[in-house]
Amino acid sequence: MRKYFPVVKIKYLLSLIFFSLLMATVLSDSLQATNTNKIQPKDTTRIQVKDTTKVHGKDSLNLPVKDSISHVSSDSTIYKRTIFSSEDLRRGERLFFGLVYLGDKSVNCADCHNTRVSDTLNWNPDALEISRKYLEKSSLDLRKVLLKPAGPKMKQVHKGFQLGAEDIVLIKAYMNKFAGIGLKQNKPVITNLLLLIVASILFLLSSIDVVIRKIYKDQRINWAILTVTGIFITWILAINAIAFGRAKGYAPAQPIKFSHAVHAGQNKTDCNYCHYTARTSKTAGIPAGSICLNCHFLVRNGTRSGATEIAKVLKALDDKKPVKWVRIYKLPDFVFFSHEQHVSAGKITCDACHGNVKEMNRLYQVPDLSMGWCIDCHKTRKVNLSNEYYKTYYSDLYDSLKAGKIDSVRVTGIGGRDCGKCHY
Amino acid sequence: MKKYWKDIESKKSKEQERRMEKTPEENPLLELFKSNTIDLPASRRDFLKLCGFGLAATAFSSCQSKISKAVPYVIAPPEITPGEAVFYASSYINGNDYCSIIVKTRDGRPIKIEGNPDSGITQGRTSARVQASVLDLYDGGRFHGPMKTGISAGWESIDTEIISKLQKIVEDKGTIVLLTPTVFSPSTKSVIAGFLQKFKGSEWIQYDAISYSAMLEANKTSFGRQVIPDYRFDKADLIVSIGADFLGTWLSPVEYTKQFSSGRDPEHNMNRLIQIESNLSLTGSNADNRIQIKPSQEPAILLNIYKEILKSVENRHIDVPASPVDITEITKKLLSMPGKSIVISGSNVKQVQLIVNDINRLLENIGKTIQFDSYLRTHAALDSNMDMLIGKMKKGAVNALLVYNVNPAYTWYNRNAFTEGLKKVGLTVSLSGTPDETNSLVQYICPDHHYLESWNDAEAKKEHFSLMQPVINQIFDTRQMADTMLKWSGSTMSYYDFIKDYWGGNMMKRQSEYTDPVTFFDRTLQKGIFEPAVAPKVSVEKPGKSASLPFDSILKKTGNNSGKNIIEIVFYETVALGEGRQANNPWLQELPDPVTKICWDNYASVSPAFAKDYNLNDGDFLKLGEVEAPVHIQPGQAYGTIGIALGYGRLKCGKVGDKVGTDVWTMLSSESGNIVYTTKLDQIVKTGRTYIFAQTQTHHSMEGRAFVREAGLTEFRNNPAAGNELHAYNLEHNKSLYKERKYPHHHWGMAIDLSKCTGCANCVIACQAENNVPVVGRVEVQRVHEMHWLRIDRYYTGEEDNPEVVFQPVLCQHCQNAPCENVCPVAATSHSSEGLNQMIYNRCFGTRYCNNNCPYKVRRFNWFNFSGAGTLAGNLRDKEGMTGNLRRMVLNPDVTIRAQGVIEKCSFCVQRIQAAKLKAKYENRALHENEIQTACSQSCPANAIVFGDMNDLKSELSRLINSGRRYNLLEELFTMPSVNYLTKIKNKIL
Repeated sequence: MRKYFPVVKIKYLLSLIFFSLLMATVLSDSLQATNTNKIQPKDTTRIQVKDTTKVHGKDSLNLPVKDSISHVSSDSTIYKRTIFSSEDLRRGERLFFGLVYLGDKSVNCADCHNTRVSDTLNWNPDALEISRKYLEKSSLDLRKVLLKPAGPKMKQVHKGFQLGAEDIVLIKAYMNKFAGIGLKQNKPVITNLLLLIVASILFLLSSIDVVIRKIYKDQRINWAILTVTGIFITWILAINAIAFGRAKGYAPAQPIKFSHAVHAGQNKTDCNYCHYTARTSKTAGIPAGSICLNCHFLVRNGTRSGATEIAKVLKALDDKKPVKWVRIYKLPDFVFFSHEQHVSAGKITCDACHGNVKEMNRLYQVPDLSMGWCIDCHKTRKVNLSNEYYKTYYSDLYDSLKAGKIDSVRVTGIGGRDCGKCHY
Repeated sequence: MKKYWKDIESKKSKEQERRMEKTPEENPLLELFKSNTIDLPASRRDFLKLCGFGLAATAFSSCQSKISKAVPYVIAPPEITPGEAVFYASSYINGNDYCSIIVKTRDGRPIKIEGNPDSGITQGRTSARVQASVLDLYDGGRFHGPMKTGISAGWESIDTEIISKLQKIVEDKGTIVLLTPTVFSPSTKSVIAGFLQKFKGSEWIQYDAISYSAMLEANKTSFGRQVIPDYRFDKADLIVSIGADFLGTWLSPVEYTKQFSSGRDPEHNMNRLIQIESNLSLTGSNADNRIQIKPSQEPAILLNIYKEILKSVENRHIDVPASPVDITEITKKLLSMPGKSIVISGSNVKQVQLIVNDINRLLENIGKTIQFDSYLRTHAALDSNMDMLIGKMKKGAVNALLVYNVNPAYTWYNRNAFTEGLKKVGLTVSLSGTPDETNSLVQYICPDHHYLESWNDAEAKKEHFSLMQPVINQIFDTRQMADTMLKWSGSTMSYYDFIKDYWGGNMMKRQSEYTDPVTFFDRTLQKGIFEPAVAPKVSVEKPGKSASLPFDSILKKTGNNSGKNIIEIVFYETVALGEGRQANNPWLQELPDPVTKICWDNYASVSPAFAKDYNLNDGDFLKLGEVEAPVHIQPGQAYGTIGIALGYGRLKCGKVGDKVGTDVWTMLSSESGNIVYTTKLDQIVKTGRTYIFAQTQTHHSMEGRAFVREAGLTEFRNNPAAGNELHAYNLEHNKSLYKERKYPHHHWGMAIDLSKCTGCANCVIACQAENNVPVVGRVEVQRVHEMHWLRIDRYYTGEEDNPEVVFQPVLCQHCQNAPCENVCPVAATSHSSEGLNQMIYNRCFGTRYCNNNCPYKVRRFNWFNFSGAGTLAGNLRDKEGMTGNLRRMVLNPDVTIRAQGVIEKCSFCVQRIQAAKLKAKYENRALHENEIQTACSQSCPANAIVFGDMNDLKSELSRLINSGRRYNLLEELFTMPSVNYLTKIKNKIL
């Protein structure tokens, strides 16, 4: 017994780690779940944050913005500065993140302008976007937009900034550096992989003990460990294998912060207005820039994003360069799905597959787009046989339905499970 | 029961065959391991490396899915809906070939050619060449822009240089010559006229590589009109053709096939075709009676027919040498139906055509089956003009030569004279769009658009106009020939405006429907064709009763054919390649010849008896004069003749077609101004070299089973099930253990009328274009890896040296008791509720059990990555460049691209079925009659393939299925196919 003490100890240690990790993941999962369910509130809190700054700005009306502008001529040498020490860059970074008090308060740029990859929609341009935009502009331009912005929204938010010439130059220097670094990825939380490794080691140790070493006379502990880890390993492998190559919940950042919640939800634009080919074609179609212009010819300012996002659309049209959206819903090439079939012939509403798009600021994939998901729907969905086509060729079903011999016809009843309906 | 056999090999004794199969060298599997058949010499270590890499690659590639972008239009074009096809009416013109077409475009790129059903000429049907022409558009070997002495140059600098040079020539009173094929576009003619007017002293010469100049000259003499008449095979009950392959290549084969097959309806009217020829041509294969002759015997036979007819009709007597074959029956039949026959000859000798004309006159065919009201305008060139031009060029009397779309440096019999003459021409310009032997010798290249990028009009037959419109923006920096001519003529007008003006001025007055020229043009453009209702009557000068025919010269020719050792060579065009214009088209190169079933080659065909006498084997190289060609033993070839195809052995056409086959144009000769497509040889020499053909039909024998059933017309009239007695027997005796499945809603099916099918192979290419069927290349065809979903089996019956031929298109039979479905371990092939045999590529993992169990051998396996859809680079087999980005533009996005390792097969064009059903649902209606057409049935010029719903009792399909001629392939296996065949009925002279 004593001889094997270290091994036994390791095993208990590992068990402890395993269960604590398991608990931690379960807890964090449930926390995350509550978070993701509340995307909308999260966004509003952000807006509220901005509002507070606004209020804050109002309080400090006495701040001499004009003065700083009169400094231009004397500070012109400062603005032309191009060489910065690492010390300067660090100060620039501290200024950007609001760690330096200027007067009686600090301004954290990162509050509104993300420096990390975000999985929710932040209306403001992120740090990378502005950094890139100002990469080729001078510090004077940055100063102008910081202290005397043109847009009404920014005017409110940026009111009362107390930034000296040197501060702005340093912020600009840090932003230049940031343009090269890019947005930070959020650190991954405890992954299932780690759990899997620990569980596998435990499983191995216990099975060795059961089969070869027999350290314990009472093998019930080993069996208990084997059962728990075994279930866990099987479960995690099964979950991952099923999810392999599927992208449920995929919500990539788009080149333009387009919100379906604003367009389809608040403004009640019909889905078919922009995705007008859904009724007549296989593809629903990503609307062309010209379609955006139907409204945005007049609407040039958003209530939240200001002019920046809409300006991107206009720029794309001016440059004749299309916006390269990141595709979310994508079926493999060997599946021939037709929107026309489902929207026009089948009269399926958009949300049946795409979820409640009207509430999505950032669009994400709702179903996993697996074949099982397709077939499940085909099995349950009732077909309306009142179309002349069905009346002609499916008259037997139509008649028995009318006579009340059958209560409904499902999609599978009219060949909805034939492989060749989708694969050819 | 007739005995059918497919080729010489299968007639050999079985023992011998089996012994051959056992020899290890013959095992094709072992070939895999030979280093010369695989590009990389592979060792065991390489194999293991590949295994490891493959595993790693699959593991890593599947870990992260690629981020894909969705890129919309900046400004949406109103005519394009992503995911939906748009169709445009247009015209196909390539040299002398013409077809009225509808082009299917997807997202702005043409992907498929379909026939225009409104056309009075081609009536919605196409040929293999027309179907394949869409691939020519995506040929990266086309000229990418204007060039000066082989170096790219800008259009502006080239224009200024050429215009100043042309003007200089005019000032110096020099000669400018424009050399084109027959131009039958009225607007282009008008543009050329403007050019000739602007540059005084310039000439326009038309030259056709395959010449009909003897016919034109003869018609001038006989009828006073130097035109090709409008042959009406649909009005003829008896067709006697002497060496004219009118179903394959002669003049206007699509139109003629449609006309001919309309008279092959055994239930109603049945014409009779008698073919007298040397090669076994497509027409000869479809003839009711076929007589083999040497080409030199042709005049004697014609003269004897003439003599008999003359005697009977005009009671005149002429002295002619005895006929080598018995023609009394033919003459009797011809005389029995005045005005209801056609006699034609493929000869390019004026005297022969004169006799043919007089025979037709005496038989009262002129004005009935041979009309001049809407004569054919696609062939109008005289060889003598070309002779004259070359003479002038050699004398240095030509100062500038503008060549457009002709290739005399390759197709002219005396090409050295042409190239020498070309050196003496001061300014040489080519206006052709694709590289060829001629424009590799010229100074300036001003490339033309592909026809799918061009505006044009056409008048293929008198008063049958059609328009051509661009369906894609130009891919390369090319400019249309007519635009170039307009520019050089000093006009600022674009050709498009020119056509509109021309039509406003000349065509408007021929109709009364529209009063506004813009509306008229737009509506015509939409329809594609404009055929004014009443064609003006064209009077034909009827020659007097005693036509003074130069018998003496004809007789001279017939004199010296008695020597048995003299071997005569007959040159012909193949159905696929013709004169070789589309030699760089992989689809056409891989299209098996309808009769020989050889692709990627031409060859010297000899008869089996001849091969025996001269000790020749299939594939032996022969030295014929100056060229060498491999022997192909062809049953039905006349003894003592060798048939060899023109249009091969090109050197400057591009990656695909260069050095494929043997170039034999130089063996042609000219006689009294017309090119002669035959020649004589004293001897042939074996070189000792041997060769293996890429042949698609040597692999399976018929084993005495009745794949093709046929009967004579009289038997059929007595008993509609004649020749099909087995069908009733099988119906009675077949029993299945399985419960019969019902298809109450749709049950898709097909009927193929073997009486109508001519084997022209249009369907093969139509299917290839529609279904993204890959090209595999010559080596893979040799290894039996061809991929065509639809093949046309050709069987011979009767004697080896004088066989009859039957064609049978074979595609997936969509069996209701499908043997393939039972054996698939992963259910990748299954039956749909609409009676289709479905093949699911993404489920297939390549056991090939289904292939093994399919009695029809219609399943194709992707042995290598032919399509570019595979992931491992080393497995790509694409010698022909079909997976390049440009060539891939032709792919149909509605059909999956199959990767390596999966089986594929005919799907009954399920994508079309789905689309048509959806359209009906969208429009809240039942399907229209014949709304769903598969690619093969849609464009079949013979109307032999009919597709439809077998549950629709009123459809044409149901009518055919209920006919006594209906049977299924291998019905004794009780697979219950959805594809039905109708017995072939022949109308032989007993």
